[in-house]
Amino acid sequence: MNIPKNKYRGRLAQIPIYLGKCFRQFLFQNDWKFLPMSGLIAILVSVVTGANMFVTMEGTSQGAFAMTCVCMWNGFFNSIQSICRERPIIKREHRSGMHIFSYMSAHIIYQAVICVLETVIMMAVYVIGGMHFPTEPLITPWVYLDFGITLFLVTFAADIISLFISSLVQSTTTAMTLMPFLLIFQLVFSGFLFELSGPLKKLANLSIAHYGLISIASLADYNSQPSVLLWNTLFKLRSIEEVDLLVHYVEDEGLLNTILAKSGELMQEPAYAHTAENVIGCWGALIVFAIIFAVLADFALSFVDKDHR
Amino acid sequence: MNVPVSTFDTALTLILIFLFFAEITWIVGIWGIFRKFGVKGWWALIPGGRKYWLGRCAGDINSGRVLCIIDFLLLFCHSYLLFGDENSTPYQGVEILTMLLAIGYFIYSWRLYSRLCVAFGKRRWQVVLWICFPSIMALIWGWSDKYQPVQKVNIYSNSDPVLSVQTKKALAESVEDQKTGLVVRLKYRAVRDFLTRRYLLRDIYLSIDPGRMVLLLGGSGAGKTTLVNAIIGYEKANAKILLNDKDVYSDYELMKYDIGFVPQLDLIRGNDTVMQTLIDAALLRLPTTVPTKKIDESVKETLEKFGLYSLRYNLVEKLSGGQRKRLSIAMEYISDPFLFVLDEPDSGLDGVVSRDLFKRLRAIADSGKIVLVISHTPDRAIDLFDDVIVLAKDSRRTGRLAYYGSVNDAREFFERPTMEQILQCVNQKDEGGEGRAEEFIAKYAERQVAK
Repeated sequence: MNIPKNKYRGRLAQIPIYLGKCFRQFLFQNDWKFLPMSGLIAILVSVVTGANMFVTMEGTSQGAFAMTCVCMWNGFFNSIQSICRERPIIKREHRSGMHIFSYMSAHIIYQAVICVLETVIMMAVYVIGGMHFPTEPLITPWVYLDFGITLFLVTFAADIISLFISSLVQSTTTAMTLMPFLLIFQLVFSGFLFELSGPLKKLANLSIAHYGLISIASLADYNSQPSVLLWNTLFKLRSIEEVDLLVHYVEDEGLLNTILAKSGELMQEPAYAHTAENVIGCWGALIVFAIIFAVLADFALSFVDKDHR
Repeated sequence: MNVPVSTFDTALTLILIFLFFAEITWIVGIWGIFRKFGVKGWWALIPGGRKYWLGRCAGDINSGRVLCIIDFLLLFCHSYLLFGDENSTPYQGVEILTMLLAIGYFIYSWRLYSRLCVAFGKRRWQVVLWICFPSIMALIWGWSDKYQPVQKVNIYSNSDPVLSVQTKKALAESVEDQKTGLVVRLKYRAVRDFLTRRYLLRDIYLSIDPGRMVLLLGGSGAGKTTLVNAIIGYEKANAKILLNDKDVYSDYELMKYDIGFVPQLDLIRGNDTVMQTLIDAALLRLPTTVPTKKIDESVKETLEKFGLYSLRYNLVEKLSGGQRKRLSIAMEYISDPFLFVLDEPDSGLDGVVSRDLFKRLRAIADSGKIVLVISHTPDRAIDLFDDVIVLAKDSRRTGRLAYYGSVNDAREFFERPTMEQILQCVNQKDEGGEGRAEEFIAKYAERQVAK
């Protein structure tokens, strides 16, 4: 066989080769199981937060946090093992002419498709599960699309972060050991569980959960919702005679809705402002996260040749 | 109960005096241990460095290396805790860091002392004594004649224990450049090993003509895979490698398509079919000028050549060891490389399958290619090989060329009838060999220079 040896497949031409491998992996290596898993997790969230989600401030913030957690969980698990499990194969193929850029691009495209499918499944579960989505869209003409884009971007950003981890470490064991640290960082610095102040508040800007939470709360118009926090507290304090009298007075006079609305006004969060700029800013931040970690993943994997035997 | 401040001061002073003497005892003890292992005693005075060398003595370089780093970090932490502001946030951070480092220090010390017991030929339970009373143990083991190491530390050095500078120069000149084939002029291949430089290979000069099937023979750690990686340009050495008169190192990006390397492990995705794996390999390795029809033909030809055609729609994970090995070779063969390098292609295969594989490789060599094979069981197909390269470790455990030539000549050179016996002849004594490596390295060099 006399082959003219001149030009070989470049970075772009190699992407379809690896994209094909990724999708065959999806079919034959049980990667497809991520899809039903994302649906199952969404069902749990839907069952727990469904009734109050987007109805009261407390329900919305808890639900937004839960939705963000589901997205991050899905994203992290989608790709945490995808590269490190075949690292020796990558090394061999890199020797034979594979471009790391092509390999990584194929993985990013593949993961984006998986994230889109997971988002569609999650949204379907939330809608079927009876979650009261707002009726007015903010960015696109469809409210479900607004939420869908947010969930997709959170999932995708988480996915790319774990893709970076997967390209950095040399074994699946190390990758899975690092996973909890990633999750804990995101949960702690989301700003939902703990009140952050000082330098820690700045760290929250490095958390994708933070942007996911703001984005969902903004889309849901959190600041226009009533707050039940004060009323629930009063209700629990009815053993005190004066409080019990107050509760009965409010109920008898039909002042409950006014009090809930007034409580809501006092509980407003400027960060959750129902504005397109706010949401687009969060989307932008998530996209920037995805881009930065994609570049870092590509860079980290370029050292695959240095792996020890 | 109020304890007088002076009592605290006295206790603190006593503790500091105790720690000081413990450290001095430890240094004196370690000095003795270093001397016994053939390491310079003054290393015991260097914080961090002494841990590294203790690791080298114990045969656990990794633990020594980690302890060396932890030692320096602890030194920094202790200094900060001594002089820093107790109420500041960084102080608390350093306290936590010290605690975490102490855990690592304990674990790695345990590992290191455990290996040290082995290095002294003592039972491992004594590691408990080392952990509890390190200074006393160091003093006893370092200066008592009852405690002697099993073997001395291999000190890496630039000097050559076998060949003189003149011989090395003459050896380098003995290999001439040639228009076709492979020319290897490897001066050395070294790696930086924390505080020292370690030579993995030295003075490998040879040339292989096209159409030759060459066996690369050598004991464990003799540098077979290192040599192969240096030849194919994957781990560059201080060398000049010419393939068909082109420099592999300076033109690596282009030359890599002329080199097929089949690793020891079958690094193939199990979830692809045999045919898809070959198609993808062809797309990656063949130039864009090759039309799709030609690629399909090549895939079919290769499948048939390696007996995989009937299995083309099977998933790779369903293949047997031999079939997978053939696929691994076919993936490289499809790009028609000039130099074919295989790292233990027969590992895990029975005699019949292995011989069948070597016959296929022979056919590749007969088509004008160079086939270089690493094998640990070469005798079952030795008649198929033209030449043999024998690598052997010298007294500093550096891989050296002990022989390169025809198979029959090798038998005469080593006065051994089989390749396994040749291997036994050059292997170190602690590996069950005869430990005659340096004798043959020198003999071969002299013969080449005389030629």
